[in-house]
Amino acid sequence: MKREARAVLLVLVGAALLHLSLFTDAYLRYVRTSLRPYLIASGVVLVALGLARTTAAVRVLLREGAAETATAQKRGSRARHRGGSRPDGGPQQHDDDGHGHAHGGPRIAWLLLLPILTIFLVSPPALGSYTALHASNSVARPASAKSGFPALAAGDPLVLPLADFEVRAIWDTSQSLKGRRVRLTGFALPKRGGGWYLSRLTITCCAADAVTYKVEIQGVAAPPQGSWVEVIGVWQPNGQTGRDGAVPALAAAQATGIPAPRDPYE
Amino acid sequence: MSEWSPLTAEQPRSAAPPEVPSPDRKHGFGALELLVAGLLVLFLGHQWVTGLLHAPRLDAWATVFVAICVQATPFLVLGTVISAAIAALVPASFLERALPRNPALAVPVAGVAGVILPGCECASVPVAGGLIARGVAPAAALAFLLSAPAINPIVLTATAVAFPGHPEMVLARLVASLATALVMGWLWAAFGRPEWLRPTTRPTTPDESGRWAAFRAALEHDFLQSSGFLVIGGLTAATLNVVVPRQILSGLAGLPGVSVLVMALLAVVLAVCSEADAFVAASLTAFSPTARLAFMVVGPMVDVKLVALQTGTFGRAFAWRFSSVTFAVAVLCTALVGWLVL
Repeated sequence: MKREARAVLLVLVGAALLHLSLFTDAYLRYVRTSLRPYLIASGVVLVALGLARTTAAVRVLLREGAAETATAQKRGSRARHRGGSRPDGGPQQHDDDGHGHAHGGPRIAWLLLLPILTIFLVSPPALGSYTALHASNSVARPASAKSGFPALAAGDPLVLPLADFEVRAIWDTSQSLKGRRVRLTGFALPKRGGGWYLSRLTITCCAADAVTYKVEIQGVAAPPQGSWVEVIGVWQPNGQTGRDGAVPALAAAQATGIPAPRDPYE
Repeated sequence: MSEWSPLTAEQPRSAAPPEVPSPDRKHGFGALELLVAGLLVLFLGHQWVTGLLHAPRLDAWATVFVAICVQATPFLVLGTVISAAIAALVPASFLERALPRNPALAVPVAGVAGVILPGCECASVPVAGGLIARGVAPAAALAFLLSAPAINPIVLTATAVAFPGHPEMVLARLVASLATALVMGWLWAAFGRPEWLRPTTRPTTPDESGRWAAFRAALEHDFLQSSGFLVIGGLTAATLNVVVPRQILSGLAGLPGVSVLVMALLAVVLAVCSEADAFVAASLTAFSPTARLAFMVVGPMVDVKLVALQTGTFGRAFAWRFSSVTFAVAVLCTALVGWLVL
């Protein structure tokens, strides 16, 4: 692998990270919010490394070239001018690829083009209804199931993350949700045999560890699959509490279509 | 085995694996120009490509693939920075003094030292590679490789958060992971053969600016190499993640002996980052505590992404031997600790 190609790859990987995390919010589709500073930092390191590689190559070329009046301002144009073809017969010790690196350099690094191109060209959307349809609802039993849940905040309707609603609906024996109007946000998911779910995914590190939450919505017609909705309604005890794999229900008063939120995960 | 040092002259050619020499010289122009041309074509054909690839299942696959690569890159950068720093800045004599001379004693020291490396398993592979290249006994470096992603405070805290009210789960994870790492280190000290490990060959550096150039060259080489293999791991993990339905697995949850193996295998194919695996394990509510422990002990030590990364750093002969034995040891340690603690 030529040093120019290595430099290009490093800059491309760094640029892809910066594109996702610094210039857009696209990283939120793939990883957790708190990873952003680390993505930016590693993007900067990789771009700097790629550029350092370029200047190092230029410096070698300058040294190899005749003692012409090569001034610092001309470096950029020389890099472009001569970067593509290394003069043959250069001293071995300056050539740290191909020769000094007899096993062909990390040619495997070309594979980096796959994620880079996927990021820039395909720009995959956040996980959504496809993933949720193929996952079951599994709300882990929280510690507060035994010790008791803290009191719900004031507010009517009460704005709750879908995951919090589920935990209380399934595991809160004091039934703190009873009679409370809540507002939940998620995307619509058709239910086999009619009806629909409101669903949301949570991620811890990245989309590979997404966990699905769903609530059955009653009383409102199903929106198209995958569309984002805000539902206001009251918890409907359906006898499915206190056990794994339960799916709680909500008697909805209204469901409003909304644009997709900035962070698709909870 | 050959030790790489920034100041030594060129490695003898025989030290390199018998691969085809780089074709770069012959087709000197090819690669870079092809890359630029390919990028141009793809940017122009953007709309067409995007339309072609729009299918829900493919979308989910691409999202998980990009997510795994993006998530791992900062940790890979961290790991390769540490590894390059060890190679270029830490004198070999320091490491010799820091670790006991006897590998059997160095293994527990290195295993417990895994506590200090923050982050997940992607960072520990290049660091272990750097340690071995710097002359640390492989048995000790491998114990570190296995223990670091599993027993560092971030991962243990995440486990405590994922299993609220079950501190014994954190304890069981710590004990089972450390035990597996130490057993593997000692097994390597007793039975490991140096020829299974491919010697780390890094480019020799131009003598321009000494240590800084050595650091930069090591960083560049290690990062490009590990990230190339990371892509292979990401492709595999994303495919298995989308293809293997988790519901089918729940059906196997009821069988006591099998469920531990099922969860251990699930950890291998899902390749969830060690900071997140506790939450995934917690969400697989149908499985017994010991089965979930197996998921958390095996995951940071053996998974498709890690096998790819280890192949890149240590060679294929090492990766498959080491990973299969580690899997068996981890399952045994889990079963034992689960029986005692959970």
